[in-house]
Amino acid sequence: MRSGTYKETYGELIALTDSRLVWFWGAALMVVLAAAPYLVNAYVLSLMTIMLITVVGALGLNILTGYTGLISLGHVGFLVSGAYGYAVVVSRWGLPPLAGFVAAGVVPAALSLVVGAPSLRLRGLYLAITTLAFAFIIDNLILQAGPLTNGARGITVERPDMLGLSFASDAAFSHLCLAAAILTLFGTLNLRRSRIGRALVAIRDNDIAARAMGINLNAYKLLAFVTSAFVTGIAGALYGINLSYVSVEGFPFLLSIEALAILIVGGLGSPLGAILGTIFIMLLPEVTGSLLRLFGTQAEALFSTGAQELKSTLYGLVIILFLRFEPGGLVRIWHDVRRLWVHWPLRF
Amino acid sequence: MTILLSAEKLSKRFGGLQAVADVDLEVRHGEICSVIGPNGAGKTTLFNLISGVLPPTAGRLVFEGRSLEGVRPWHFARLGIGRTFQNLALFRHGTVVENMLTGHHVHMRANVLEAVVHLGRARREEIAARRRIEGIIEFLEMEHVRDAVVGTLSYGQQKRVELGRALACEPKLLLLDEMVSGMNREETEDIARFVLDIRDQLGVTIVMIEHDMRIVMDISDRVHVINFGRKIAEGAPSEVKANPAVLEAYLGTNHGEPPGAAPAPTTVKPSRVSAHVGG
Repeated sequence: MRSGTYKETYGELIALTDSRLVWFWGAALMVVLAAAPYLVNAYVLSLMTIMLITVVGALGLNILTGYTGLISLGHVGFLVSGAYGYAVVVSRWGLPPLAGFVAAGVVPAALSLVVGAPSLRLRGLYLAITTLAFAFIIDNLILQAGPLTNGARGITVERPDMLGLSFASDAAFSHLCLAAAILTLFGTLNLRRSRIGRALVAIRDNDIAARAMGINLNAYKLLAFVTSAFVTGIAGALYGINLSYVSVEGFPFLLSIEALAILIVGGLGSPLGAILGTIFIMLLPEVTGSLLRLFGTQAEALFSTGAQELKSTLYGLVIILFLRFEPGGLVRIWHDVRRLWVHWPLRF
Repeated sequence: MTILLSAEKLSKRFGGLQAVADVDLEVRHGEICSVIGPNGAGKTTLFNLISGVLPPTAGRLVFEGRSLEGVRPWHFARLGIGRTFQNLALFRHGTVVENMLTGHHVHMRANVLEAVVHLGRARREEIAARRRIEGIIEFLEMEHVRDAVVGTLSYGQQKRVELGRALACEPKLLLLDEMVSGMNREETEDIARFVLDIRDQLGVTIVMIEHDMRIVMDISDRVHVINFGRKIAEGAPSEVKANPAVLEAYLGTNHGEPPGAAPAPTTVKPSRVSAHVGG
């Protein structure tokens, strides 16, 4: 059995994890994910790529909704503006893809100031409605700004060549998404353990006390909006590249709900929860589809014609079930299982 | 001793309610000073004015010779005014260490980019902050719960976390709002010891709101008495205890002797006052 641990330096106290096993298994998982494109079939690979992109987006929303406690239904607006930022800069203006990714982050970040500023005094439902309106405004702006965005016709995007590498193949593109997911994961973990992450969580838990600790509420709420929108915009660009075609229809409002479902199911405020939630939510329609297939062709036809409706129903159902039975989400279940594993047969 | 904080004709009005009216107050460097008064007298509102939670409707505050007029609420911590809250205002999902580190916020500088990469200044700063916090944890004798989520701690310990979080701000003036309410005798004595140590070892000036007359009479250098938003008395604990206006505020006119009569007020023991107020 493991004994208690002690630390010899203050540096060890602030490490992300003191467990070598966590680093080992984390690295092993990375190797498996990097090798996976050469081992699995095209369908599984495309699903994996989508999941990696979704992890980036979910971690982005987690900064705003998980850390800071500001509910946003408008993140699809940041996704789509990130995708258009990339598409306009790269496909229409012919600039290098790296500049496209910068634009994919900066454009939503700038827009987030526009939606964030009036949201400083709003909370909960009111903020959710404001951000919801923002998502629809963005869609309409894109449709109206034809000369820049091609309006309803959308923009075709190629997979990028950058940093001396070609990401044209499915395998290479999934590697790009894996790198983005890993960078975002460590970025948000580091952010959480910094003074800024603590300030955001303080605003969520008790804003009056946070202000008495010298935290400027307005500035930090805007900072949460900007950081969250930047990360989400990068996810949007990857999503657009994956679709190979950026249009308003490619980013349905359901994506916002999906992202919130991921955070609630995974456990609000936890990067690990965002990852577990992504896996759960993305596999949910797949597993349900396979189950329905067992019931014969009629059920399968229902699944293929009503895929979107089925998805929304399932998301709604799991949100309700998790809020009722495990508000801490999958990450809480994971911690409970781990505690049981470490301490069994003792209770703690 | 020089004056650290002074309030001049400080007033706060909520609609028709005059919560604080023309309060003059002086707090000297290195002093432990108490603010007492019956429930609803305006003590917490006075604290909210001093700590910047609320802006005053009239009057002004001077801290270290500088007027606090127009200072933004979140700058009070940086100036050196720290506080605890009457009803716990902890970040309850965080651990003890995290709560105290949040209190250290104004003494750290890392921006978002540095925070995200967690190298260089951000890392050095985190380590230095963690060292400071460990010092506070040792000071408050909380080593065994440092990694506990504060929501799981007992009420007395949560109060102690609040104290630690306020200390992590490294304040020059510490405002303690009813630290010992709901505590048993032993916990109260612990807090009294901490308050004295904070003044003597850390050199922090303390203003506390208290209903527990034992701690007020034992450790305060000066006591300010507030009733219906107005200051009705000020002085050393023994003077305040004997002040007819104070007795009237706490016990009503029937208990007081007619003005100019025998020195009956001295027969009112502090324990009797505290029993009355605690009820």
